[in-house]
Amino acid sequence: MNRREAVTHVAWILGGVFSAPTLQAMSRWEQIGSQASALRQSGSFLTETQHEIMARVAELIIPRTDTPGAIDAGVPDFMEVMLRDCYRKPAQDTFLAGVGELEQKGFLKLSPDQQTTTLKQVEAETQKTSDSSFWLITKELTLLGYYTSEVGVKASFDYQPIPGRFEAIKIKPGQKDFMYGNQA
Amino acid sequence: MNLNIKADKAQTYDAIVVGSGMTGGWAAKELTEKGLKVLVVERGYELKHVEDYKTAMKDPWEFEHRGKIPIVAAEEHYATMYFSAKEGSQYLYSNDKENPYIQKRPFNWIRAYHTGGKSLLWGKHTYRWNREDFLANAKQGLGVDWPIRYDDLIPWYNYVEKFVGISGQAEGLAVLPDSNFLPPMAMTAPEIHLKKSVAQKLNRPITIGRVAHLTKPQPWHTAVGRASCQFRNRCSRGCPFGAYFSSLAATIPAARQTNRLTIVHNAIVKEIILDDKAQKAKGVRVIDQNTLEVREFYAKLIFLNAGTIGSTSILMNSKSARFPNGLGNDSDQLGRNLMDHHLAIGARADIEGFEDDYFFGARPGSLYIPRFRNWGNDKRDYLRGFGYQGGASRADWSRGATETGFGADFKKKMTQPGPWKINLSGFGEVLPNPNNRFYLSEDQKDKWGLPQIVFDADFGENERAMRKDIMNDGAEMLEAAGFKNVVPYDNPVAHMGLGIHEMGTARMGKDPKTSVLNKFNQVHACKNVFVTDGSAMTSASNVNPSLTYMALTARAASYAVEQLKAGSL
Ligand SMILES: Cc1cc2nc3c(=O)[nH]c(=O)nc-3n(C[C@H](O)[C@H](O)[C@H](O)COP(=O)(O)OP(=O)(O)OC[C@H]3O[C@@H](n4cnc5c(N)ncnc54)[C@H](O)[C@@H]3O)c2cc1C
Ligand code: SF4
Repeated sequence: MNRREAVTHVAWILGGVFSAPTLQAMSRWEQIGSQASALRQSGSFLTETQHEIMARVAELIIPRTDTPGAIDAGVPDFMEVMLRDCYRKPAQDTFLAGVGELEQKGFLKLSPDQQTTTLKQVEAETQKTSDSSFWLITKELTLLGYYTSEVGVKASFDYQPIPGRFEAIKIKPGQKDFMYGNQA
Repeated sequence: MNLNIKADKAQTYDAIVVGSGMTGGWAAKELTEKGLKVLVVERGYELKHVEDYKTAMKDPWEFEHRGKIPIVAAEEHYATMYFSAKEGSQYLYSNDKENPYIQKRPFNWIRAYHTGGKSLLWGKHTYRWNREDFLANAKQGLGVDWPIRYDDLIPWYNYVEKFVGISGQAEGLAVLPDSNFLPPMAMTAPEIHLKKSVAQKLNRPITIGRVAHLTKPQPWHTAVGRASCQFRNRCSRGCPFGAYFSSLAATIPAARQTNRLTIVHNAIVKEIILDDKAQKAKGVRVIDQNTLEVREFYAKLIFLNAGTIGSTSILMNSKSARFPNGLGNDSDQLGRNLMDHHLAIGARADIEGFEDDYFFGARPGSLYIPRFRNWGNDKRDYLRGFGYQGGASRADWSRGATETGFGADFKKKMTQPGPWKINLSGFGEVLPNPNNRFYLSEDQKDKWGLPQIVFDADFGENERAMRKDIMNDGAEMLEAAGFKNVVPYDNPVAHMGLGIHEMGTARMGKDPKTSVLNKFNQVHACKNVFVTDGSAMTSASNVNPSLTYMALTARAASYAVEQLKAGSL
């Protein structure tokens, strides 16, 4: 927790973004050095069914509406890459346990409404616990995967890779957030 | 015999500059412009301006991990994870596994072994030190007195500032002397509100951060190929516009234009070669970082600009009959009084209101709140002071991860700017302390056979006492502005090195018995060796140091060339 705080504040000093995903990442780095590296080596991180469950979950978080959804943006595959490369074993295990529970509940066979209700329950339970829960990891990766994807950025924001100036302005009604592509 | 002489001649220059970073670039520029044939010896690989900034123009979706660093890479970049933490800038930070060091007490050593050094990584905050900074040691009987005063540096601050290009607002404050400024960057609406409230209620000034960005390039900036800042804040990936100051964008191109500059890369300076009889340096011995081949280069003048730890460790490694404990180490001061700034402390808050205020562009900078403690009539139970950087911005989509909800409405909401939030983060002065030090390991070596560095330093009572004020004063200012949910924070793990302003270890002073360098950054006992990076610092101030290193370097270079021409070196 401490180290995570330190990093957060340093990120601030350097003009960085103070965001939940960053915070999550911090807690992972916290373990660096204190734990032997334990990465899951297998080629595919999730079973086919688990992958399908996660695709469904991501799509429920960011559904296709008048703009593309999580699946259109490639979020399910992105999640697997991230879980494999950027998460340590304890977080990976937490995540897998979460998918496992959904699998046991026969998540894919539930009606869309029932699926939403199930996720609401998962979310409510998460609020009682802290740090790296299945729900937080899932949401973080879905949002990251979607809002930084090409379709996601173009559909959601006013993307300005080279703004050319900095000025205080007034917001227009319904104005989309500017995105500068500087989070990498 | 003849052959040897030829070889010697081929590798002989007027001056050798070790390191091509922030200060090495300045040494190279000044010495070549004054007519010297200069060799810059750089331990890292060659990084070419613009063309090697491979990630600079990438869109977010072009990064496999969308900016996050894979665990495996993170382990190789342990110390730098605190800063880079991004996929786009990781290539500019050195690998800790390949470049190991020992932490007797915790220390994070962030390095950038390539052309340009840490001038590619810095946050560009650029401030003059003030008059008191150069007097404090003497007044308080701490460390040794500076052999120079603020007045000695004024012409050199003026000189380097114009070339660097610093955006900022003149305020006429003695505590934070003005530089030569390019137009300041704008403040956001809540920041202006904070500035007004804090001025009214607490009588403390707040100014826009003074940063080395070209807000209005001058002819001498464009002459080396630099352009105006585009406000994309992707600086940490390298700037293809050359809009922020780095040696790669500015001083090295200027030195190249003289046709008197040569740079060798992958050449780790192991030691300075001493002519014991003449008590002068003859040149440097280097190890090729890829082939391990050892070579020598010769010159009449040597500038050490390998970064604070780098330069001092070269002196330590340069042992001879005259200097058995390291070149210039008669005082036993080499490696001692290691300083940094202490940080990871301050306050943050939520801001209600200002919903229809917004901003366009990504500002690469923040606010700056100059020191107000132990200044004027203010007296505290600790010595010296601190300042803050920070600012207000609106939360983006990533707030959604911890917000309740999902689905269509949630998705739409994340496309709108979120609420405002603000953070003030302190930077405190660290006192010189001879027991805060680094030394060379006796048994552990790196893969080039050089002794590993052992860090043995920590913050002390004075720093800890100051931290209480940094936190409470930060909270007080946010409260003065009426911001909500003010959270003061103090992170006890903030240790040395994290401040990325490592200083000291070969300090300047008047007396050769208690210092390594004289008032022109010249090694007291070896006059043709100059050390002009952070290792020369006698005390640490609380403002970012690089501008002062640059001014010292230009000043020392000017003096060195005069001495050389007068035949006194
Ligand atoms: C993330 C970050 C943010 C920062 N923000 C700020 C800021 O806002 N304001 C500020 O004033 N400062 C800031 N700094 C500090 C600033 O970067 C340094 O003060 C500055 O770069 C020091 O210049 P230097 O020439 O001493 O060292 P460097 O710029 O590090 O250059 C040293 C060079 O020497 C080379 N070298 C090292 N050893 C050898 C050897 N044995 N042989 C040959 N070559 C060698 C290195 O490869 C490197 O190229 C920041 C630093 C970091 C990391
Ligand atoms: S903000 Fe300015 S200096 Fe930074 S990358 Fe963009 S143009 Fe370059």
